[in-house]
Amino acid sequence: MAWITQKSSAPNDLGRRAVPYLAPATKDRFERDFIPRYPTRRGALIQVLHAIQDEVGWLPMQAMEEVAQFIGITPSQVVDTATFYEEFFFKPRGKYTLWVCQSVSCEIMGSTALQGKISEKLGIHHGETTPDGKFTLMHVECIGACGGAPCALCNHKLHENLSSDNVDAILDSLP
Amino acid sequence: MALDTPILMKRIPQGNVANRQTVWYDGYVATGGYAALDKAIAMEPSKIIDEMKASELRGRGGAGFPAGMKWSFLPPPDGGHRFLAVNADESEPATFKDQLLINTDPHMMIEGIAICMKACHLDTAYVYIRGEYHHHRVTLEKAVQEAWDNGIFGEKSRMGQINGRTPRLFVQRGAGAYICGEETALLESLEGKRGWPRNKPPFPAVSGAFARPTVINNVETLATVPAIIENGAAWFKTHGVARPEGVPPQVPASYGTKLYGISGPVNNPGVFEDHLGIKLSALIGQHGKGMRAGKQFKAAFHGGISMGVLGTDQYDAVLDFDIGKRCGVLGLGTACVTVIPQDVSMVAMARNCARFYSHESCGQCTPCREGSNWAYKLLSRIEAGEGTTADLDLLSELAGSMGSMPGSTICGLADGTSWAIRTILQKFWNEFEDKVAKPRFVGLALR
Ligand SMILES: Cc1cc2nc3c(=O)[nH]c(=O)nc-3n(C[C@H](O)[C@H](O)[C@H](O)COP(=O)(O)O)c2cc1C
Ligand code: SF4
Ligand code: FES
Repeated sequence: MAWITQKSSAPNDLGRRAVPYLAPATKDRFERDFIPRYPTRRGALIQVLHAIQDEVGWLPMQAMEEVAQFIGITPSQVVDTATFYEEFFFKPRGKYTLWVCQSVSCEIMGSTALQGKISEKLGIHHGETTPDGKFTLMHVECIGACGGAPCALCNHKLHENLSSDNVDAILDSLP
Repeated sequence: MALDTPILMKRIPQGNVANRQTVWYDGYVATGGYAALDKAIAMEPSKIIDEMKASELRGRGGAGFPAGMKWSFLPPPDGGHRFLAVNADESEPATFKDQLLINTDPHMMIEGIAICMKACHLDTAYVYIRGEYHHHRVTLEKAVQEAWDNGIFGEKSRMGQINGRTPRLFVQRGAGAYICGEETALLESLEGKRGWPRNKPPFPAVSGAFARPTVINNVETLATVPAIIENGAAWFKTHGVARPEGVPPQVPASYGTKLYGISGPVNNPGVFEDHLGIKLSALIGQHGKGMRAGKQFKAAFHGGISMGVLGTDQYDAVLDFDIGKRCGVLGLGTACVTVIPQDVSMVAMARNCARFYSHESCGQCTPCREGSNWAYKLLSRIEAGEGTTADLDLLSELAGSMGSMPGSTICGLADGTSWAIRTILQKFWNEFEDKVAKPRFVGLALR
């Protein structure tokens, strides 16, 4: 149950803002794109959460409350679902999230050294964000690109055949 | 027997990854695509299922359940929804075969989906694709849109109405949870809940997604369907290997081709198609182009870590559905091979597996939740050189009992944990003993 006990993305801030996260136009879009796909409104929940996180970068509590109201379930039900999944964040994260694989194929091909190198370079460990808000580091299990091990996702982009040597260039090239 | 004409990689160059491009709708149709669907539309749905049963196609998602049989389990339509959930969660460590199909020839799977919907009277299908497959999802969504635009799905579907409804296909984006690959966890996730596997029965065929009859199949399983419908079960069975001698006829054989993945220190890692029943040594030698310079074969996970490990003396293991009994592993699994070289410690591998399971256990069942974390702690200690022989005994007992008592856990994740750790312990016991061999002072007592 690591998702409860070790969740590094756990919320620390319930700050609110006056502008809603689900503007009427956004709700219309969800109503059109996601809701009709499922026999229950709740079926659309994960797709809605993704859409919000893609826009905001993370899932603020207020946004989850608004989602609850939109879907017609309780905020606790939204939080229950959202916190189960590793990809959802409940506090702000860096401009780039690095998902570095550490499963068997990647470990055999050198992910331990790679993780060490990245941590040393950025000064952060698993689940942490650099003070300048540029990078968040996640050590994750197999990302399904084992033929190019060791590999990592930088936001949505896959980088394969990484090494302590070429990872510098990749990180330095990011604006 | 080498594979002359690939089935699944018919439009995709084998090996040379750099040359791979997505085959879009027009290209797919130009190379004979959707002919099988047209054939299926003209068939009586029950005849499609009969053909699938006759082909003895076994599920490619890991469990190897006969697909035709699964399709025949659904009750007759009663007016309510009926669903297909396509398992594109592909999160088993070392497994990366389905992504190739999605990324390069998505319409083959989509055609298989349409045929399955037609055969089983399913009105709505969802492809549940793991969250980490971003690029793949974009490709898939585009291909699905093409299928809607070209009258495979939607109001103008060439299949007409199915189950009294417009046939529809949607992409469902997962959000990072290995357990959602387990079929009932996938269904929970589809319903907007956390991915907690369900107690069975009821089975999904009777009460699946949204409590309605549901078929769940793997991407590769469905991608194999068009070729079977187009060329017939008899043709399909000229591929792969027949039922071994002495095996009862109700046990399905290993017919057809299979996508194999190879990762680890080989010269040419990647995804390759070959007959079921290829030898591990041939896979590594011919497709993987051998071990990298200076690397020597020690062991291999042959089907994701959950199936257990093949030892040094099992280099010639035959990769078919019967591998379990022959090689002391759980089964064929995903047939994606991780090659472990001599210079990698098996203690480290066992620890890696335990970490994976303790992280991915959904937490519902005590043996799985506690056992995997306990094993991880023990293995961390042993790997750090702090372990004792008592730790080793405890670990063996733990790994040997998890998931082995039927009904003590809800899903197969616990069995995976057990097989991964137990087989490594059995086949590489000496490495563990070496790690704990030195007597050591702990406090004041010699242990
Ligand atoms: C813990 C666990 C994880 C699984 N992960 C996957 C997966 O990622 N992809 C998959 O196709 N099947 C996975 N399966 C197997 C599915 O439960 C199911 O058997 C399969 O999707 C059925 O499709 P098939 O009959 O076409 O193989 C998993 C099973 C378990 C117990
Ligand atoms: S066996 Fe493990 S993963 Fe499966 S339901 Fe039980 S706790 Fe969850
Ligand atoms: S083991 Fe790292 S991507 Fe699969």
